[in-house]
Amino acid sequence: MKCLLIASESAEVLFNWTDPEFQQKIQEQYGASQEEGQRLPAFEDSISTLFAPIIISCITMVDRLGDSYASFTTENNHIYVLHQFDECLYIAVNGDGEEGEDDLRRKIYVMKKMIEVLFGMVTLSSNLLRRELRPQDTEQRARLWKHLQSLLETYSHIRENDQSFLVEAVERLIHPTLCEQCIEFLERRLVQQLNSSIERAGEEVMHAFILVHTKLLAFYSSRNASTLVTSDLLTLIIMAQNMYPSCIDLDDPSPEVGDAKRKAPVPGFFNLGVGTPRGVPFKCSSPVFEFVDPDIQMAEDSLQTLEVPPPDPSTPRRVFLEVSLKEGLYPMMPHSMYCLPLWPGITLVLLTKIPTSAVAMSVYTYLEAFAKLEKRLREGQEGSAATRGQPTIHDLRSKLDKFIKALGPSDIQEDQASTESKCATAPCWPQYVIADLLNNEFSFRFSLIPWCKNMKTQLCGIYRQCFLIDPGPSDVPRHLSPGLQERAQTLVQEKLMDWKDFLLVKSRRNITMVSYPDFPGLIHFICVDRSTGQMIAPSLNITERNTSELGKGPVAQFIKSKVWSLVNTTRRYLQKGYSTVTLRDGDFYFCYFLWFENETGYKLEAVDLPILPDDSPPIGMLSWDYYRKLRRYYSKNHQGEVVKCYELLTVHLGVIPSEIILQHCRQLASKLWEPSRNPLL
Amino acid sequence: MAELLSPDLRGCTYFFLYDGSKVKEEGDATREGICYFYPEETPMDKQELLCGQLAGVARCVSELSSSSVRVLRLRRNKYAIRRKDDFLWALGSSVDVPTISVCELLDQLIDLFCFYNGSVRQSYQRNSREVLAMRWAQYLSHLQAGSSELHHIFSCLKTIDATNVDPLLLLKAALILQACQRCPLVLVGCILFRGRVVSTQMSPNLTMKVMVHESETYNKAHKPNGPSTSSSSGGTVSSITVFLTMSELQYLQSTPVDKGFKFHSTPHKDTIPKKTRLSRTLSDTPSTDSEPSDAGSTHSSQKVSFSPCLSASDNVFSPDPSENTTDLLHPPMQSQCPLSNGKSSHDAEEDESFYHSFHTNGGGMSQIGDSSGLEENSHLNGACGTVFDFRAAECGNEESHDHKVGEDSRRGSGGSAHGCSGATNSHNESPLVPMTLYLHRVKGLVLVLLVEPHFLSDTASMEEVYHSSLAALNGLEAHLRTIIPGPPGVQVPYVFAHFDCTQSTMTSNLSGRPGATHERPFVRATSLLHSHFCNTETLQEAIIRSAGAAVYGTRSVAQETYFLQHGGSLRNSGIPNHQDSAFTLPTKARHRLLKHGVNLL
Repeated sequence: MKCLLIASESAEVLFNWTDPEFQQKIQEQYGASQEEGQRLPAFEDSISTLFAPIIISCITMVDRLGDSYASFTTENNHIYVLHQFDECLYIAVNGDGEEGEDDLRRKIYVMKKMIEVLFGMVTLSSNLLRRELRPQDTEQRARLWKHLQSLLETYSHIRENDQSFLVEAVERLIHPTLCEQCIEFLERRLVQQLNSSIERAGEEVMHAFILVHTKLLAFYSSRNASTLVTSDLLTLIIMAQNMYPSCIDLDDPSPEVGDAKRKAPVPGFFNLGVGTPRGVPFKCSSPVFEFVDPDIQMAEDSLQTLEVPPPDPSTPRRVFLEVSLKEGLYPMMPHSMYCLPLWPGITLVLLTKIPTSAVAMSVYTYLEAFAKLEKRLREGQEGSAATRGQPTIHDLRSKLDKFIKALGPSDIQEDQASTESKCATAPCWPQYVIADLLNNEFSFRFSLIPWCKNMKTQLCGIYRQCFLIDPGPSDVPRHLSPGLQERAQTLVQEKLMDWKDFLLVKSRRNITMVSYPDFPGLIHFICVDRSTGQMIAPSLNITERNTSELGKGPVAQFIKSKVWSLVNTTRRYLQKGYSTVTLRDGDFYFCYFLWFENETGYKLEAVDLPILPDDSPPIGMLSWDYYRKLRRYYSKNHQGEVVKCYELLTVHLGVIPSEIILQHCRQLASKLWEPSRNPLL
Repeated sequence: MAELLSPDLRGCTYFFLYDGSKVKEEGDATREGICYFYPEETPMDKQELLCGQLAGVARCVSELSSSSVRVLRLRRNKYAIRRKDDFLWALGSSVDVPTISVCELLDQLIDLFCFYNGSVRQSYQRNSREVLAMRWAQYLSHLQAGSSELHHIFSCLKTIDATNVDPLLLLKAALILQACQRCPLVLVGCILFRGRVVSTQMSPNLTMKVMVHESETYNKAHKPNGPSTSSSSGGTVSSITVFLTMSELQYLQSTPVDKGFKFHSTPHKDTIPKKTRLSRTLSDTPSTDSEPSDAGSTHSSQKVSFSPCLSASDNVFSPDPSENTTDLLHPPMQSQCPLSNGKSSHDAEEDESFYHSFHTNGGGMSQIGDSSGLEENSHLNGACGTVFDFRAAECGNEESHDHKVGEDSRRGSGGSAHGCSGATNSHNESPLVPMTLYLHRVKGLVLVLLVEPHFLSDTASMEEVYHSSLAALNGLEAHLRTIIPGPPGVQVPYVFAHFDCTQSTMTSNLSGRPGATHERPFVRATSLLHSHFCNTETLQEAIIRSAGAAVYGTRSVAQETYFLQHGGSLRNSGIPNHQDSAFTLPTKARHRLLKHGVNLL
C-alpha cells in the first residue's frame, strides 16, 4: 500500500507511482461507486479525483493561513506525508506499516533530487517543469513516468537492502591493491585515451568509476574536474542500478548470472534509459514487486501498449550535476552519463562534460542575478536598494544581450524552437523597464516582479532548449561515438577479466564480522566518514542459503531490521541536536556517536548542534546534504580549519558491560580511519 | 540551518468541536457546524477556515484509507483528531509536544465532557451551545490549569506531597473510603484536599474526571459571592449526575469490594488495614503498619480497595461489634451486592426490583424530599447538581426536583436500577450509564463517592455514610490543614522526573516555572525520550547527549524515569570514551533517586 504523487497547484497530477496494492484499493473504491457494466475510469483519473480535495485544501491553507499540511495519520496507521516545493505538491502514502513518516519524507526528497538530476534548472521554473513532467503526448508521458517510477522502485529496493543507501554514503570495496591498480588504469589508460580521441565529439570525460553492484571499486576524476558530490554520486549509482539491476538479495550467483544474462545487454547496447521495461529489475528479488493481479495487469496495459522502441542505445543519458569551480558553485550543470555494463553486476560509468556547458553556467549566473533582483524588489521598500541596484541592472542588461547574441549563431540555431525562445526573450527587455528602475517609481517596482519571473522562466526555457531537447538526428556527432564506447568497455573488461568472479563475491562479503575477533559481543557496526561521504560496515547477509556469522535467515533478518530502525532513531535524535545516543533495547545495546576532527585527526570539541523542525529535510547525503551544512555550521567557530565529521553505530549484546562496549566503540573509532586511509584489514 | 530553537510546549493552541451534520448542503455556512471553538476570540473567518479545511481533509483522507484520521500535522501545529458520527474534535498544540500526549489530552477532554454531560449529541439537543461552550472551556482550563511543561508530556494526577504527610493520615484516608464502601450503594471513592488527591480507590482516569467537579466547586466556594450554602462553615454535601462508560462500569464491577473482607482476617498480602483494629483515631493505629504507605497515599489505598475478586454476595456481612453501629441500622441492605451484575445473583435482582418499585411507587424524587427533607440548595456545575444540607433537614419541601435528577429517576424506571440500559444513546455510541457523584466537603477536604443513582433516594444510606465519615473527615482535614509545606527543595545538582504509569502520578524536583530556562534541555529530552519509549516497546533505557546536557531515561512496565546531572565537566568531543561522565548517569540516577523514593534497581 504505497503511493507517491506529484501534483500541481491546479490539482493536476504531474506524476504518480503506486504499488499494486494501492492501485487495487483505488480501483476497488471506484468499482464500488461505479455502476454495473460501466467501464472503470482510467487509473490516472481516479487517483487525481481522489486526491484533488486534499491538494486543494493544502493550497487553501497555504494561501489563507500561511501554513500547510505536513502529514496525516489514520487509526489504521496509514501515513500521508505532504511537502510542497514551489508549485509542486508531493504526497507520499504508506498503508502497510513498512515506512514511517521520516521514510516517506525521505522518499519525497529523493524523488525531487532525481527530478533535478534529470531536468536540471528546468526545475527552477514550475511552469516549465509542469510541462516537462506531464508531456501533452500521452505516449511520451507514459514513457517518462515509467522511467521515473522504475527509478523510484530501484531506490526503494536499494534502500531496503543496502547499508550504504541506508546511511546514504558510498561503500567502497575493501581491496587496496586492486583499487589502486584500477584507479591507475582508469587514469593512465582509459580516460587519457578517451579524451585524446577525435571520436569524443567535443565531450570530455571528467569522471570514471567502476561499480560492483552498488559498491565502488575505483573512482577517478580528471585533474581539471571538480569533485563529484556524494549526493550526485549516490543518485548516479541509483540510475546505473536502474539500467543494469543486480539482484542484491540472492547470494548464490548462479541464478543471478542466468537471470542477468536474460536481460544482459548485448555489448554496445547501453543506456536503455527511458525504455527500460518496468518491473524487470525486481523479477528476481522479492515477490512484492510482481504484478500478479489481472486487474492491475489490465490497468498496466494502457501504459504498456504505448511502449516504444528504446532510443538509440549509444545515446548517453543527460544528467545535471553540481560543479564547484574557482568562480563559484554551479548546481545542475549538464553532463552526459555513459553507463557501460562490463558483466552482470559490474558497470563502468563515464561522466563527460559537454561542449556547450559554458552556456549553462551563464544561464545560471543570469538566473541568480534575476532572483536577487526580484528579492531586492520585493524587500526594497526604501529607494536606496533600487538605486544601488542600478549599475547592476545595466550591467545585467548588456551582458544578457551579448549572451543572447552569442547564443544565436551557435549550434542550436538550426533548431526552430530555440529561435522562437530567442525571439521571445528579446522583446522582454523593454526600454520602459530600465526607465522605471531609473525613475525609481514605487508603483512600478511591483510591476517589475512578474517581469523578473518571466525573465527567469525564459532563461530556463533557453536552458531547456540547449540541454534537454533531443535535437533529433543530425550529421554532427554529439557524443562519444559507439565505437569509442565499445573500446572503453572492452579495455576495462580485459583489465578485470581475472578479477570478475572475485569482485562479485567480494561485493557481497566486503568485510565480515569474523575479521573482528578482538571485539567480543560486538554484533555489527557502521562507520561513516561524512566528509568524504564513505562508509564501512560488515556485510549483512540475510539469505537462507548462506550462513553468515549472524546465523541464518530470521536471526539475521531480525538484526537487519534492528540496524535499520536504529539508523532512523539516531537520525531523529540528531535532528533534535543529540550527537550521542545509547539505547538498551531488548537483548541489544546500541550506540551512536557523531564527532568532529580536524585534518590531523585531532578530536574537536562538541558544540550545540542545530535543532531542526520535524518537517525539515531528511538527514542524510542523498537528497539534501545535511552533513555538509553541519560541517559548515561547525567551521564557523573553527575558521581556517578543515572540519571532518564521523559517525559510528554499534550493536552489542546487551549482556556486555557498558564500559567494555564503550571501549570497543573507542577502539573502532580510532582504528577504522587510521591515517593510512586504509581501514582495517 | 535553523537556529537553536527553544521548545514551545504549549498544551493547546486550538480546540474545536465541529458538527458535520449541520453542514450538508451546498448553502450551509460552516459556522453552523462549529459547536465550540477555542480560543473563543478567534475571528469567525479563521474559525471557519480551520474547521472547514481540517474537517474536509480529515474526511477525504478517511475515505481514502477507510479509517478515520488520528493526527493531522501542519508545519507549525499538530492536531489530534477524533471523529464520532458527525462530530469531529480537533485539538491543536505546538509541534514540540509529543503526538501521543496531544492525543491523550483530547481523549481526556472528550471523556470529561461525556462524564458530566452524557452523550454529546443529546447534550447538544438539550442545551444551548453557549451553556456547553462554558463547559468545554471549563474542562479545557482544568486540564491545562497550572500544569508545568512536563504535565503536557505526562498526563498525571496531582497528589499531595506524600513526603510531607504523616503516612498515618494517608492510611486514615484510605480507611474512611473503605468505611464508606460498607454501604452497598457506594461503588468507589476518593479523598481530595485542595485539589490534590489524598487517597483514591478509583482508576487514575476516573479520579481525574472526578477532580474537575471538585475543583470547580472548590473555586466557587472560595469566591466571595459564591453560593452561600456551599460556603457554610460545616460540611456540605452535594451530588451530581455523571455518566460512566460501560467499560468503566464493568471495571468497577469486575473488582467487587468484599464487604466482609475488611473485618475478617482473611490473609491477603499487601493489605494494611486487616492487621489494624480499624480504629477511627490515629492513636489507635499501630504505627508499624503504616510503613508501606511511604510509597504514596494512592498506592496503598488501591491495594486495599481493589481486592481480588471475591463475590460479594457470598459473604454475609458481619459487622465487627466494635464498629460503628450505624451499619446495623440497615441490615437487609448490607446483604445486597450493588456491584454484582445482577445476572448471577438472584438476591441482588430481587433487591433491585424491590428498590425499583420502591422508587417508582413512592413518586420518584418527591419521596426524597418527603422522607429526608433534603433541600435543594443550589445548582453546582451549571445545571446538573444538587446540594443537600443535612442540617436543613427540618425544612423539607418539595422543591428538590432538579430537572437533571428527575431525569435520572425517569431513566431508572425505564430499566434496571443499575441503569445499564437506561441511558443508552444513539446506537452508534457506546452506552453511557448514569451514576451519581456524592461529595461531602469539609473545608478544603472533599470526600467524593461514586454511588448508585438511587443512593440519593435512600435517606438511610445517605445519612449513614454522612455520619460515619463526618468525624473522621473533620479530623483528617484538621491534620492536613496544619501541615506546613516542606522547606523549599535543597538545591541539588540534578533534575529528575519519575512517572508512575499505573497510578498516573509524577514525582519530580523540577520547579516547573515557565521561566526556568535551565530546565528546558531536560524537558525537551524527556519529551523525545517519552515518545520513543511509547513507540518502541522493547526499549528499556537510553542516554542521549547534546553538547550541553546528557539525559538518562529508563522505563519498566510500571514507570518511566528521567535524570539529568547538572554541572560536571561536559567538555567532550563526542567521540566514544568510557571515561565520559554521561555514561555514569545510570549509576548516579540509581543512587540519587533512592532518597526520593524512586527505586531503579
